[in-house]
Amino acid sequence: MKSLPLALLAAALAGAPSARAAETPPAASSAPAAKPNPHAGLKDGYQGPAACEKCHAGVAKAFLDTVHWKHASKVTNVDHLDPKLEYGMKNRIYTFCNGNDVVNDLKQVPANELGKTKITGCNSCHPGTHLAGVNADGPEAEAAIDCLLCHSSKYDYSKRKPFKTADGKVAMGQDRSGEAAAAVGKPGVKNCMTCHESAGGGQLIKRGFAYDAEHDVHAKNGMTCVDCHEAKAHRIPTGFDPNNWANDGVRLSCQGCHSEKPHHDPDYDAHTARIACQTCHIPTTGGAVAKDFTRWTKDPDTGFWEPTTIKRDPGATRPVYAWFNGTVENTPHRIGPKGERTDPKSKITPFKLYQGRAYYDRKTGSLLSMDFAPPTASGDTLAGVASAAKTLGIKSYDPVPGWQTIYFANSHLVTKAKALSCDRCHVADGVLPFEELGYGKAEIQKRKLRSAELWFDKLDAKERKKADF
Amino acid sequence: MKKLAAALSLAVAVTLATATPARAEEKVLGVVASIQLAADGNSAVAVLKDPKAGITVPIAVEDKVTLDKFKDHRISVGDEIKCKYEKKADKNVATFFKKPGGC
Repeated sequence: MKSLPLALLAAALAGAPSARAAETPPAASSAPAAKPNPHAGLKDGYQGPAACEKCHAGVAKAFLDTVHWKHASKVTNVDHLDPKLEYGMKNRIYTFCNGNDVVNDLKQVPANELGKTKITGCNSCHPGTHLAGVNADGPEAEAAIDCLLCHSSKYDYSKRKPFKTADGKVAMGQDRSGEAAAAVGKPGVKNCMTCHESAGGGQLIKRGFAYDAEHDVHAKNGMTCVDCHEAKAHRIPTGFDPNNWANDGVRLSCQGCHSEKPHHDPDYDAHTARIACQTCHIPTTGGAVAKDFTRWTKDPDTGFWEPTTIKRDPGATRPVYAWFNGTVENTPHRIGPKGERTDPKSKITPFKLYQGRAYYDRKTGSLLSMDFAPPTASGDTLAGVASAAKTLGIKSYDPVPGWQTIYFANSHLVTKAKALSCDRCHVADGVLPFEELGYGKAEIQKRKLRSAELWFDKLDAKERKKADF
Repeated sequence: MKKLAAALSLAVAVTLATATPARAEEKVLGVVASIQLAADGNSAVAVLKDPKAGITVPIAVEDKVTLDKFKDHRISVGDEIKCKYEKKADKNVATFFKKPGGC
């Protein structure tokens, strides 16, 4: 697809807003007066979305129709889905998280052998009160939206904890203080990452990227999540990802900022038609590489059980490469990219590869889902399957463990300095598996796709130029 | 040869005698009883109460990620924490300070 390599760097060096500001500070005498904070008045009284609606009329109602509220959307690029239905973490059954908002709803788990209990569930990150949750609509739901969770830079997260109401229902707390309300603005990195970094069972488990200056050139240049994922009416643009289905109908790609020929090097630019930017500019991945939902592991200190998980640090593992045209193969044992070399819409794209084991129904071959409350307390995974089946109205099933392979988009951890260069791919046993990607041995030999002859003189000239004074 | 052996023995003896013993890492599962941030925001002391052992342990926290969580209260009084720490001088310095796993 379109390779970002130099583009990213160029943009980074030439242009992140904070960088520009640092380069050309306004003279003190001509500095514009600081704009008054239009939200300062909220400090003296904030009653939730109704206060926002006074100026931002209609926003709360519109927000209820977004993925951040519904945790689902219609999905048009994935096999074997009903186009009339909505899919997402609300109801998906797969093996990265074998539960979902429906079967693993936020609730109090039974006491474990140490007598301890806790309130937990998949929808703990939902920006409502849980009393008005992913299915909620209407004025009550609008009033339940936690606007400040995403928009305040002074949100007090100690107030966002689940608790039981007087009548025994599980609710999620919110910070609706005046101090938090007076500090609203565009979401910062922390606003996004508080939820997105902790998804899937713990810190940096799911996607395995850290969005910070150490790991990502965009972060290093002061860019925030919403500089790329720039929302319109709370609809957040997202890229195509075999694993991440729900979307707000708005897509983004590197080309939103970078051109098709971003490198100042025609040889590199020649790659962008069939190689995704991420392929060269995101050569690493991280996070969980495998989980077993059929065999949980007990934390001897807390007495609670967790799915057995093999995880790696951000940047600690290598992606795999496949052709991807934005559509997704979805079968019980594989969720992965579709595409091929002969398809002009396909590009060679990197993916984080993940293996998950969970229970399948021997009768139908379908993957079963799990309510985590029983196994969290006792490790009894089949009790979790039984509870989920009851919730879903499945009366008869025959559980048997099985594995599923999932390809995750590898779209962060962007680097310019450590991007793949000629000598990483075009060598014997290089990074790209040319044969698997559809290149015949004769073509590989003829085009010198695995030979230093292809690039030695070019890189030599570059090295000499670097050495010149 | 004898001189060489003697020299080697001496070297080994000196090395063993002067080597710093490896710091033992200790751990505690406890509830945060208090958090005291330093004025410059670059360190903090969190007191963890371990009801099982009936002890309280003051933990020095110096890593930025955890300090940020103290500042915006993602970790606050009442939270259960898994902590590993090393004794350095008169302080228990955290090497791991997180809430137990789970969504």
